[in-house]
Amino acid sequence: MNRVALTSKKFLLPGLMIIALILLVTSPSYISAYKVMLLTSILMYIVVSVSWAIFSGPTGYISLASAAFFGVGIYTAAILGRILPLTYVIIIGGLVSVVLALIVGVITLRLKGMYFAIFTFGLVELLKHFLLWWEINITGTRGRFVISVHSETVFYVMIIIFVAVLLTAYLIKHSKYGLALQSIGEYEEAAEHIGINVTMVKIATFAISSFFIGSAGAIIATRWTYVDPYIAFNPIFSFMPVLMSIFGGLGQLFGPVLGAAFFAYLEESLITKFPYHYMLIFGIILVVAILYLPDGLIGLAKKWKKGSLSSGLVELLQKRQKGRKEV
Amino acid sequence: MSKKSFFSLIICLIFILTIAVGCSQPAPQPAQKDPAAPTGPVVPDKNEIVIGSVSSLSGPLSPIEGAAFGPIRQMWVNDINARGGIYVKEYDKKLPIKLIEYDDTSDIGTMTRLMERLIVEDKVDFIFPPTGTAMLFAAGEVANKHEKLLIGMSGGASEIKQIIAGMPYFFSALNFSDTQMPALVNMMVDQGVESAAIVFIGDLHGVEYSGAAVPQLALAGIDVIYVKSIPPGISDMSSLIREAKAADVDAFLCFAYPDENILALMQSMELGFNPKLFLTGPGGNFGFFRDIFGDQVMEGMMSWGAWNERSSPGSKEFVDKFIPLYGEPMVDWWGHNLYWGALQFFEQAVEKAGTLDNAVVRDIVATEKFDTILGPTWFEGGMLAEECHTGEVGQWQNGKFEVIAPYDKATAKPIYPKPSWPR
Repeated sequence: MNRVALTSKKFLLPGLMIIALILLVTSPSYISAYKVMLLTSILMYIVVSVSWAIFSGPTGYISLASAAFFGVGIYTAAILGRILPLTYVIIIGGLVSVVLALIVGVITLRLKGMYFAIFTFGLVELLKHFLLWWEINITGTRGRFVISVHSETVFYVMIIIFVAVLLTAYLIKHSKYGLALQSIGEYEEAAEHIGINVTMVKIATFAISSFFIGSAGAIIATRWTYVDPYIAFNPIFSFMPVLMSIFGGLGQLFGPVLGAAFFAYLEESLITKFPYHYMLIFGIILVVAILYLPDGLIGLAKKWKKGSLSSGLVELLQKRQKGRKEV
Repeated sequence: MSKKSFFSLIICLIFILTIAVGCSQPAPQPAQKDPAAPTGPVVPDKNEIVIGSVSSLSGPLSPIEGAAFGPIRQMWVNDINARGGIYVKEYDKKLPIKLIEYDDTSDIGTMTRLMERLIVEDKVDFIFPPTGTAMLFAAGEVANKHEKLLIGMSGGASEIKQIIAGMPYFFSALNFSDTQMPALVNMMVDQGVESAAIVFIGDLHGVEYSGAAVPQLALAGIDVIYVKSIPPGISDMSSLIREAKAADVDAFLCFAYPDENILALMQSMELGFNPKLFLTGPGGNFGFFRDIFGDQVMEGMMSWGAWNERSSPGSKEFVDKFIPLYGEPMVDWWGHNLYWGALQFFEQAVEKAGTLDNAVVRDIVATEKFDTILGPTWFEGGMLAEECHTGEVGQWQNGKFEVIAPYDKATAKPIYPKPSWPR
């Protein structure tokens, strides 16, 4: 391969990504206001899924705390939205999530497997009911209005968080911390023996990933306009990133991105086209995907690239033809 | 492996098809000119009024949607279309209604996004309200921002009064604690109730109702033994019921939803707790709630509301129309006549406006008075006027939901103390 080919290949992917980003940023000028809102929603799911995958992907620790971080971001916007500028609210939303993740991490990251998953899910319920108690007994109410922000502002903020989370995920994956996380996922005791500060790496990564979920919660709350603890700490935001990441493919950075984008768009399409049957269709697609796409959409794309998909289909057709001839 | 690959390909095809469906937009129908219509260059012709609805067809709020505003919305659209539509002077013809429905899956983010889709993408003429208090509050913001008229139906709270003041396009048809609680407390005093225990669900509804009840009961000289909150989906209330039984309270007030109220009633029977006054709401106001326990158990049970076919001649007509379609257990004896009355009001407001311009229709809703099944009907400060309510408290008597308070709207006298549970 000559130098020109190598150079062009080296710049192909970053070039394509920059073009995609430019297209995304300029999209409000050529797509409808609703499509902008839909893109915002898709970006939000991507941010939450990639954040989840930064920690849970390599380590194998299934965290169900995403809804807790997301809810903390939402309540930050609800409480501080009227007194602080939006930028501060978003940053504080992320930072409060980091503090929460650090506390939870210190307490729980010695837990493993199912115990960790149950504890993190319990955290969502704990925060929800604590806030509920607080609102009823201290503030005397339950719900809060969140100051509304223009949909395009929300969109651009979400793009910034999206780019930041992708960059962070990429940098972690290709750093020594990424390798450390990988080794923790493969054999934690061995990782500890070779000198990795397992607890520190886990807690730091858990906290970093929570920042983006909290920030995404803070900005999206401005579109929801009214929140209460049940809305803010909705367990669906604990399960969706897991499902989306598995759906997209856990091994690669692009997997959760693809999974979240497909998942969110698919859901929206089905809801608006088949409001009375979408759950059924969605359920069937999910079951089929889990059964026949063990490596997610990324796995499918890889097979396609290698040609095994087309060769498999040809093989299948040949077998059928052969069978018919025999009959 | 080849089998897996084949199915993978199928999945791919499903995705591609789904996305294609999602991307495709229905081709715009060419506007047909009515030859009878006067020729004017200003307003393009229109053949239907498009109303958008985002409601909780699935998720935790779907039972409320299915029992409260859902059937009324559908019945009203069918009723209007059976009559040829609503006459709109601007187009000089009757326009039938086309309803676009979306499911918010009981998720507020989905609701606000789809509500905006209805307004900015589907360009509906009017919007129907979503399900539940929080949803309604959020929808109020969206509707107001886009200057679309929104008449809230199932859901809301007295807090809505302050909210509505800053949202001129938001109206509310349902009655809440501010009119219900005084009627209940007044009736309790007259019946000689001396003590009460209050259980409330830990949400906006429960907080509001308990917050209204405690000071009013205390002011009326009724001893409040305890006030306890319960979480939604609670599976055991026996300790609360034992405590109320031990205190021998006269009245047990359960400000919760159907699931919690069903539990409270079941466990009260199991534990032999039979207070003289037992109120469950919302829940006890539905026909299906009575059918779960039967007429004997429900005899004397109270709930919020209230109306029945004797509340007004229009109410009788409504019942005669509703029951053959949905059945008597599907009647909501709290809200259905208010929802129907509000939609009749809306129809007349559009006719009077002679346009589908929301600003014009909104001004008429805010200022005019029309006859509906509730009698003369109007809105005051965004809320349906108290005079239009057909009742505030109801009680099951011989399988019928009777209005017992306030007295000037009552269809029967209260039964107090309520009969013992049947053996």
